[in-house]
Formats: sequence, structure tokens, C-alpha cells
Amino acid sequence: MKESKRQQILRCYAWAAPSLLLILMIVIFPILYTGYISLTNMNVYHWTNYTFIGLKNYADALLVFDNGFLKALGMTVVWTIVSMVLQLVVAFVLASLLNIKGLKLKNLYKTLLIFPWAMPGYVSILLWKTGMFNSQFGLLNQWMAKIGHGPVRWLNGDMSAFWCCTLVNLWLALPFMITIIDGALQSIDRSFYESAVLDGANWLERTFYITVPMIKPIIGPSVVITVFTTFKQFDVVYLLTQQVGAKTGADIHTIMTYAYENAFITNNYGYSSAVSIIIFVMLILFSVVINMKPKEVRD
Amino acid sequence: MQRKVKSIVGLTVVNVFFILLCFVTLVPILYALSVSLNANNSLLSVDFSFIPKAFTLANYKAVFVDEPIMLWLKNSFVLAVSTLLISLGTGIPAAYVFSRKTFPGRKPILRTLILLYAFPSLLSMTALYKLLSPMGLINTKLGLIIVYTGTEAVFALWNMKGYFDTIPYEIEEAAMIDGASPTQIVWRIVMPLAKPTIAVTAMMVLIYVWNEYIFAVNFMTGSDTYTLAAGLYSLQATEMSGNWPIFAAASIVVSIPILIVFFALQRNMTTGLTSGGVKG
Repeated sequence: MKESKRQQILRCYAWAAPSLLLILMIVIFPILYTGYISLTNMNVYHWTNYTFIGLKNYADALLVFDNGFLKALGMTVVWTIVSMVLQLVVAFVLASLLNIKGLKLKNLYKTLLIFPWAMPGYVSILLWKTGMFNSQFGLLNQWMAKIGHGPVRWLNGDMSAFWCCTLVNLWLALPFMITIIDGALQSIDRSFYESAVLDGANWLERTFYITVPMIKPIIGPSVVITVFTTFKQFDVVYLLTQQVGAKTGADIHTIMTYAYENAFITNNYGYSSAVSIIIFVMLILFSVVINMKPKEVRD
Repeated sequence: MQRKVKSIVGLTVVNVFFILLCFVTLVPILYALSVSLNANNSLLSVDFSFIPKAFTLANYKAVFVDEPIMLWLKNSFVLAVSTLLISLGTGIPAAYVFSRKTFPGRKPILRTLILLYAFPSLLSMTALYKLLSPMGLINTKLGLIIVYTGTEAVFALWNMKGYFDTIPYEIEEAAMIDGASPTQIVWRIVMPLAKPTIAVTAMMVLIYVWNEYIFAVNFMTGSDTYTLAAGLYSLQATEMSGNWPIFAAASIVVSIPILIVFFALQRNMTTGLTSGGVKG
């Protein structure tokens, strides 16, 4: 059973090697290669005979407003804030209502409300697009017709498309948030409320002085993860408005759809790679700022 | 007495609210279901109702007969199983070592992995395309398996390492004192204890491959090589063309396995994920 320290270390690496080599080749190397492409003028005309152009792509993205990256970044920030605020407020209200004493059908409601989480995300988004928002046979326009209103092109204008995307994203994300907040609410000791009621605290005071502070640390990590996924959101905006060959005309881009558009639609690979690297650096900075490290690495 | 009446009224209001909310939430799904089952889809009519007046399974039949959905299903299945075997086969020993042993280089590697976990693979799509195309791997299953395995290897390693951390080390120490070899310890002791996380990780990998469409539509060029997700993507009805009832039927068909898995694993899902996931 005794073996030298060296042997032990070697064995650890031998066990980890297949996974790490795989990650090195399929994940890390392409990221480095993306960094390499970002320094070239690779595009559809220069697919193999590209040349180095230094940091020009980065300058184009970060310094020239008309190229659209900064606009997409601004939109992504607004999108993340709006989505997160709505999600947290709505999920908190719904979870609180679910926890009202004597609500017998609570579990049934929870199961039904969780459905959007259980559906494959891209299927739901496409169902929203064709089933609800389609200007010809979408349900929303059928309802509009019922109240005597002409068809509305929901996804065409920037503003209405943005709110449609926000609505769909809310629909997709609420079940997770409700589940997390519901779990947190149930972990609060009832006796806190009882003594607060005795002290004459009203509902609003109880919410702000007991509920919110108590659930904050519990839901914190999940909220942080949701901020990340919202910031990185691609599917909702892309599938609703920016699909190749089926653009709705709304000019809204998150940074992710922007990077994709430049890579696979306008085929400006060098520029798109620079955008990718900028996004990656931003994600790294975020992680560092909020200290999202594995528990044990932190101490 | 008055209090009791007040609370009954309150509860009724809340119940009505939730019934309405559940209905509104489910409208997109119910609408698709209803359209897919409706025999006379007068799409432009205003007198639409959620319960079709005449039922038909013709749309479902069309999905299976007119569209190569069985072929797509087979493609998805091959991709999913391959990805699953590779990412779990390499991920389990690595996750175990990172959870249990201390060795030089462990922390830097873990730090790197957490950053990679935040990196959306979509962003290196160009690089992957450029790297795979000279090897002749574009429009092949192997190419997509490589792409999917990379993404899922990071996830599998992280998720399972987190769960291994929660299994008490004392159990293994006891086995070690009894003279079990490291391989025996993993196979006989850790693996049975880690079943929940392996199941959840496996399901997440399967669901990922089942749902991934953007790499599939870009890396696969022919509809006979499409996965289920890419196929459904290609079926969608656009503003003017496409067949919405058939698309609705196909959507339901594609969603049912995922719904079953989700609700079957819902309990494990929360523990298997939260214990392994990233913690702030």
C-alpha cells in the first residue's frame, strides 16, 4: 500500500489525463485559436490567405460605435438588468403567494408553473415565435382581431421585439427562480414572523426586515448564475428575431447574437473572433469581481 | 369569525389567480397541442378554441412518414450516446482525483476549469469549424461528437467533482485500511455512492445533445445528417411558408421524452445539480 509521493502524483495525473487532454484539445485550443484568428483579417474572401492586422479588429469593435458592438453591449446590459429585476420581483411575489397558509393546491400549481422549465428551451422559443407572435396565425393576433384590432407585427420593431424577447425569457426563467425562492422561503423559521407580528410589524415590514435578508444568502448563488446565463443569452433573441433567412427586421442584438452574426452570416471571422475574446475577458472579469470560485479554492 | 371569512375570501382570490396564471403560462404549449390535433385548422379564423372540434392524428402521422424524423432521431441517439460515454468515461476518474487527492497543479487546473465553464462554446465556433474542416470532419457525426464532448467534459468534471466532495472520505479510509486497492475503492465504494450524480450528469449530457441546434445546423449540411434539434429547426414555419400544424406536432413529439425525464428526475435534479454546481 505504501508508494512514493512521486508515484501518487503520477497516478493522479494518469487518472485525470484523459479528461484534461480532451478539454485541452477541444476547449482550450480552440479558444487560443480564436485569439489567433482575432489578430487576422480572416473573412470569406480571405479564408486561407489571411494576413495579420494586429489589434485592428479590437479597435474596430471597441472604438468605432457604428460597428454595432458597443450598441449590442449596451443592449445586453439593459436586457440583463430588466430581465433580472422582473424575474426576481415576479418570482418573489409568486413564491410568497404559493406559501400562503392553507393553499391546498400548492403542489399542483407548482408542477404546472414549472412546465416552461421542463420543455426543451429552443422548442418553446420556436412555439412562441410561430404560435404566439406570428403575424398571420399567431394567437396574439387572433385575439387582437377579436377585439377588432388589425394584425400587429410583434417582432418587427426594436422596442416591441425587445419586450417580446423579455417576456419569453421571463417565461423560460421564472420556474427556476420560483423554485429557488420557494425553497428559501420554506427554510425560514416561522417563529421569526410570530414574534414580529406580536411586535406589531406589518406585512411590508416583515418582508423587508425578515424575509428578504433571510433568503438573500440562500438564493445568492442561483441569482449569480442566472445573471450569467441572462448575460450570455443567445437562443431567445436569435430564434425570435435574428434567424438566418428569417430575420424579422428588428435590429436588436445581444453580444452573443452579434458575435454569431459576424461569424456565420456576414462571415467576418477575424472581427467576430475579436468580439468573442472581448466577451470571454468580460466573463472572466465578472467571475473575479463576484469571486465566483469553487468553495475550497477561495480559502 | 370575521377573520375566518376574510381568510377564506383571500384564499379563493389566490386560488383563482393561480388557476388563471397556470393557464396563461401553458397557453403556448396548449395552443401547439391543440393545433397539432385539430382536423380542420382554419388558421386565419377568429373562432379558435383550445379544444379542437374534430380530432385528428394526421399531423403526427405526417411527422413520422413525410419527414425523416426517425433518421434524425437515430442521428441524435448516436451522438448522445457517444458524447455520454466519452464525457463520463473520462470525467468520472478525473472528478474523483480532483475531489479526493491533493497534488501539485490541482488548484490552478480547477481555477482554469471554472473559467472554461463560463465560456460559451458558441464563441469558438469559427475556430472549431476552421480546425475541423481540413480534417474532413465537417458534416460528419464525429465532428459534432468532438464539439459536444468538449463542452460536456468540463460540465461533467465539475458537476461530479462537486458531488464527490460531499461523500465522506472516512468510508474510503476504512476500505483502504482493509487493504482495498485504489481501483477497487472507486469501483466498489465510490461509484455506488455516486449513482445519483452520475445519473443526473448523464441526463444533462443527453438533454444537451438532444437540444443543441446551432452547431448542428452549421456543421451539418444535409437534412439526412441532421439531429432531431436541427431537423425541428429546419421544419419551423416562417412568417409566410412552412406548415405550422406539422411543426406543432413535431415539437410535441420532440418535447415528450424531455418532459418525462425532467419530471422523473426533478427531485434528483435539484440535489444533483446544486451540490455539484458552482457556488458563490
